[in-house]
Amino acid sequence: MSETATTELPFRERLRENPRPALLWVGVLGVLLALEIGAITSVAVTVVSGLAGAVASAAAAVLGGPVVPSIGGAIDGALTSAAHVADGLPSLLSRDVIPNQGYQTPDGTWHGTFLGLEPKYAWLLRLVLVYAYMFAFLWWCWRGYRVYVRHYRFADWTPRDDMVDRLRTHRWGQFGFVVVLLFVGMALFAPAISPTSADQNIYHTSQYDVQYYDADTESVETIAVLDANLDSASRGAGTTNIGPWQYDQYDRFHPFGTMSNPGQDLFTFMAYGARISLAIGLIAIGVSVVLAGGFSMLTAYYKGLVDLSVVFVSDSIQSLPGILLLLLVVAVFQSHWLWEIYNGGLLLALAFGVVYWPGLWRAVRGPALQVAEQEWVDAAKSYGQRSVTTMRKHMLPYLLSYLLIYGSMSLGGVIIGIAGLSFLGLGIDPPTPEWGRAINTGQDYVTTPAWHISLIPGILIVIVVTGFNALGDGIRDAMDPESEGEDAGAGATASGGGA
Amino acid sequence: MSRWQYFLRRVVLAVPVVFFAMSLVFLVIRAGPRDPVAAALGQNQNPEIAHRMRVQMGIINPDGTPVPLWEQYIDFMTDLVTLSLGQTWVINRGASVLDLIIARAPITIWLGFWSVLIALLIGIPLGFYAGLRPNTFPDYFASFGGIVWRAMPNFWLAIILSSVLVSSEGLTEDLIGVPLSWSDFLIETDVIGTASLANLGDPVSLIAAVKWILPPAIVLGSASMGNEMRIGRTAVLETINSAYVETARAKGLGRRVIVWKHVFRNALIPLVPVISSEAFVLIGGSVLVETVFAINGLGKLTFDAVKQGDLALAGGLLFVFAIFLQIVNIVQDLLYTLIDPRIGYDQS
Repeated sequence: MSETATTELPFRERLRENPRPALLWVGVLGVLLALEIGAITSVAVTVVSGLAGAVASAAAAVLGGPVVPSIGGAIDGALTSAAHVADGLPSLLSRDVIPNQGYQTPDGTWHGTFLGLEPKYAWLLRLVLVYAYMFAFLWWCWRGYRVYVRHYRFADWTPRDDMVDRLRTHRWGQFGFVVVLLFVGMALFAPAISPTSADQNIYHTSQYDVQYYDADTESVETIAVLDANLDSASRGAGTTNIGPWQYDQYDRFHPFGTMSNPGQDLFTFMAYGARISLAIGLIAIGVSVVLAGGFSMLTAYYKGLVDLSVVFVSDSIQSLPGILLLLLVVAVFQSHWLWEIYNGGLLLALAFGVVYWPGLWRAVRGPALQVAEQEWVDAAKSYGQRSVTTMRKHMLPYLLSYLLIYGSMSLGGVIIGIAGLSFLGLGIDPPTPEWGRAINTGQDYVTTPAWHISLIPGILIVIVVTGFNALGDGIRDAMDPESEGEDAGAGATASGGGA
Repeated sequence: MSRWQYFLRRVVLAVPVVFFAMSLVFLVIRAGPRDPVAAALGQNQNPEIAHRMRVQMGIINPDGTPVPLWEQYIDFMTDLVTLSLGQTWVINRGASVLDLIIARAPITIWLGFWSVLIALLIGIPLGFYAGLRPNTFPDYFASFGGIVWRAMPNFWLAIILSSVLVSSEGLTEDLIGVPLSWSDFLIETDVIGTASLANLGDPVSLIAAVKWILPPAIVLGSASMGNEMRIGRTAVLETINSAYVETARAKGLGRRVIVWKHVFRNALIPLVPVISSEAFVLIGGSVLVETVFAINGLGKLTFDAVKQGDLALAGGLLFVFAIFLQIVNIVQDLLYTLIDPRIGYDQS
């Protein structure tokens, strides 16, 4: 190691010697980012304001007093103006640039839509462009890695190259990867890919209008979205039903049809629902990965009493089905201030994290014990390296991949669990959209013309969960080709049984 | 170590786990942010009833002074050990929690029994079938079907299946022109609701009870069915490539004998934990499945208790579930040693 270290130039030096490929890559990346700067900042502002809201309500609950509201107000104001700025920034692929909402006059022409296209095609165009943009962006990031490998990486070969090669031929894992990307894209670009915005369609329906051509009065009329939604709701047999891929009487296009009450657009609901599913899934898995990773290193390093006590605690948590513990938490915390944040989302995410970490810990315990037995850990110990540093530098890198596999596999379980709780009315409260609630509202209409309300969200859950499982399978096979067997991750794979 | 010693050790180890789990439940219920009395009685509580309830739950003394938390904890745990689980206040005011659980349990056991049985009878044969014909179309079909089937959320599957069965008459008339009603098939039963399990000795009511439980049992067993299929397939593939099977083939044993005597028996071993982990799925899933099918079992009772804030009942139910699951775990470990004597008692 010491020999190569002397001849190896730092990354910065290597960059300075041959800056052209890197500059080219960064330039194109900048163009790609600039195209969507509005959307990116608005996602960032959404995340920040969500965090700030959480912090503010936590502070209000803990401190109270008159100081906090004023600070909270100031932050709130700043964030609102930031949101306005973000909205003002141009996004190439937004509803404003490619509008899909318009009305049709009797001569068959469309007014208000992009280039006078039918709303269906205008929406489809935007959807395809958004996903094309996303995949192009990711492909460019991948190019960036290739550029790094070709021009700047010191080593000719690293084990990661083999992993990448194995993933390239793993069709099942690639299927999972694409499904996960489609889902993440749906969540991130929810405002751009849904036919109408959540604000218009879910939160403030009475404040927005929709224009349509009325055949009776032979003129263009205006109606509040609230009333239009009520008229175009799908309520099963004997009423008007707007199924998938249909227009309602106000010339609005509904790719997944409308919901029963109060007739929101199902696709918009699902796209924004994907956001909360993904957010809760990521927070929950993040919490459990941190807990499981930390505990697995502690137990593998110290063994003995530490190990025993963690075994004890995790066994106790696992001695009850997770969904029952979650139900209990929901029942107890329902009027608590933590519940206010994100309509219960944050609390549920934390609870999921606490319920899920024992399973994850069990899964990575074996690898952690293995790595703790390695000579390099022993060497680090005998050099007098601090235990935390040893764990971080010499154990964690080995465990990260396992945490990634099992984290990916459990994420599907969290999505099913949160949908199940919301279905029972004990999860995410309205009006925040959640997939399980869509299934709940449609449960009386499964065998009626409004079958889509329950069926489509359920099918999407199945596809997304299968995708996360497949991705986990793919990563596992790529990292550890010897664990080819399917039962290695069976304990962690998400299944519908949890909810 | 003899089998009995091993068994005793497992039982002794299970006690602190249940104890600690129930301590967590106690913390959530009693030290959590929600007052159990307010949760049960709602906004317009009668002060007298609230007082009586507090005294009965051991939160305050009869003279109105609060009982310290550690004393509550000791009372709570002793009550659990002596199985005096208190009264319900919302679901069935004044009834004993234990009586309520005992009254509701048979239906959930009936449901659980059939869902385990159906999952076993369909999942394992399909998995073995796929494992004996690897990389053929039936194998891909079964494997992929298992993966998708497993990923279906129970509650969604329950809604779809119950709705289709409820309106089966109209649906079949529209689709194939012949009205076939699931409710009238063989014996008239309801799809939604609770059937009586009163006299199962009578063949007619036995058939009715089985027919009534089949749809929810299929839904509840769906995830396990997929798991058993996948693992059964892998297990068969692994055993069929092992040395002793090759030896048997070299000896000239017939395929039938090899498959039945040497492959299947050994392939059952990795399935044991899957079957016992089904118990967790059953209890968790029964909350949703029983709610959708309106079955008055323990799952729906748990849901009602949580929904209506009957925390005493919820605590009691969790205790019963925890004990049941520990028993299943112990039985699983014992089964292991019975099926495969090589698995030592020292490994836990």
